[in-house]
Amino acid sequence: MNPTSQYIDFFRSERQRIEAGSLAVMNAQREAAAEALQRLGFPTQKVERYKYTDVAAAFAPNYGISLAAASAPQLEEALISRYGTLARVEDDAITALNTMLAQELIVVHAAAGEHREHPVQITNTLRATAPLMQNRRLLIIAEAGADVQVILGDRAEAQQDFLTTQVTEVFVGEGARVALYDIEDTHDRCHRFHQVFAQVAAGGHLTHTAFTLASGVSRNQTDVQLVGEGADVQLLGCAILNGQQHVDNNTLIDHRAPGCTSRELYKYVVDQQATGAFAGRVLVRQEAQQTDSVERNANLVCTDQARMWTQPMLEIYADDVKCSHGSTVGQLNEAALFYMRQRGISESEARMLLKQAFASEVLSEIPLEALRQRLQMQVEKRFRSCDDCKLCKKE
Amino acid sequence: MLEIKNLHATVGGKEILKGIDLVVRDGEIHALMGLNGAGKSTLSNVLVGHPAYTVTEGSVIFNGKDLLAMSPDERSHEGLFLSFQQPVEIPGVSMVNFMRAALNAKRKYQGLEPMDAGAFLKLMREKRKFVELDNKLMNRSVNEGFSGGERKRNEIFQMAMLEPTMCILDETDSGLDVDALRIVAEGFNKLRKADTSAIVITHYQRLLDYLKPDVVHVLIDGRIVKTGGPELAGEIEERGFDWLKPES
Repeated sequence: MNPTSQYIDFFRSERQRIEAGSLAVMNAQREAAAEALQRLGFPTQKVERYKYTDVAAAFAPNYGISLAAASAPQLEEALISRYGTLARVEDDAITALNTMLAQELIVVHAAAGEHREHPVQITNTLRATAPLMQNRRLLIIAEAGADVQVILGDRAEAQQDFLTTQVTEVFVGEGARVALYDIEDTHDRCHRFHQVFAQVAAGGHLTHTAFTLASGVSRNQTDVQLVGEGADVQLLGCAILNGQQHVDNNTLIDHRAPGCTSRELYKYVVDQQATGAFAGRVLVRQEAQQTDSVERNANLVCTDQARMWTQPMLEIYADDVKCSHGSTVGQLNEAALFYMRQRGISESEARMLLKQAFASEVLSEIPLEALRQRLQMQVEKRFRSCDDCKLCKKE
Repeated sequence: MLEIKNLHATVGGKEILKGIDLVVRDGEIHALMGLNGAGKSTLSNVLVGHPAYTVTEGSVIFNGKDLLAMSPDERSHEGLFLSFQQPVEIPGVSMVNFMRAALNAKRKYQGLEPMDAGAFLKLMREKRKFVELDNKLMNRSVNEGFSGGERKRNEIFQMAMLEPTMCILDETDSGLDVDALRIVAEGFNKLRKADTSAIVITHYQRLLDYLKPDVVHVLIDGRIVKTGGPELAGEIEERGFDWLKPES
């Protein structure tokens, strides 16, 4: 059976219920999404951007879907007309599936010049007692000169099979600032596909941080277009993996205007039999002169069975640019380990401190003090509860 | 007391130590001199349990216990300290966190509660003064961006924090100017207790002028070929090592 058909069939038979509580703008795009999904099928690993994650396998099981009954409030037409304009269903099966099935839309809107002091926090906690699929949709719009921070928290409280898709569209207006933190702390029975599509106007700044503390199979795709002069993006990522976990971050930074800057740093700690993948493409178009771009991916691979695929890519069509890209894969520094042990620090504690130190480079880039401290604590907790850490087992 | 008997050790399959016998009593300072490649650093690495070195024969008894059967961290808890010849940088681990982890690991081994934050910082402040180590360095990553002299002073500072009973100073004088050498050596003298023993590995007389060893050994090709009083160091400074080489 073609694994897309169970979703398309479900949509066809439940269309009325899906559309009943939903926005007109969402309903208007469902048919095209269904057709695109039908045409595209789930990407095989021969599709370049999906080569590291088996999508069809993730979508093959039969998950339940809970349909919302709530009705949608009236939203400003000017806002919601942006829905689906960055996340194009024609090119991507996950985006198509999400657009076909998502019922609810969360909109974060900052009006021109509005500075929000406190971050908007959206936490999703999975508690279902049967296998569940969720399709989530988020639209972030920061008008000119606005400043907004959004923290997405993904958690799973029930030991259950979960599959979530999320599509996030981010519009960063002229001179606006958006910081988006995406923190996943789920478990090994969770599959997650998160597509972020962002557009940054002239002089705008976007920071996106993808922090995977714990997961099953996670694929985060982050596509950013820098469309106005002097636009700036920073992509940060940190993934901590052990067991059979799999985290795949796939990014595209598209420099379409002159004088834009991009910074990208992803760090992975891959332990036991886990697999990590990073593919980051930086595209500098001909008109994007004076681009300044740095891309870096650094990875700690802790065992012989752990695997890391890394693929930094730089594609330049302009002739006056400053760009670099690179990646490293390595093990814990043995000399540092021994130094610590000579000072009486046990091997497991020394390893934990070194892993934490490795991740701290990403943490130190997070300007939100409270969030940084919380993440620091969670990272430590995460490393301490790794199965190979004898420390907590003793206690 | 440290008692080394007929110690043989290899690194990468090559025999470096070929039968070392050495007894260091409580409170004694022993100097270990010899040319590069004689086995001085190998001996110190073997004593602290570096995994790259394999002991093929012999025994080491430290305060009545079999040292070679212990893990490197246990040896540290038992009171053994190595001041490294080249202290490594540990990016991302601050001096404060590093020292706290080390000190509390030792306290746990001794059955004590972790030290509270206030007492710990006070202790750091006290011990730092002896080696004139700047407070700014404490919030930096371990040895990261430290000058050569600061790294060596940092070694002695760590020694002061952990209060070992047996210190091995592996070429602590290398790369130090005269002033830095004085600070390190005087720091060591002030911080050591009456029963602290030391093995001081050096090429030069000048460190020994400060540390005043009780016994001087000369190590050539993995064996101790001569043992004498402090005057032996002076003799080596004048005559070199050639006259000590065994007849071939």
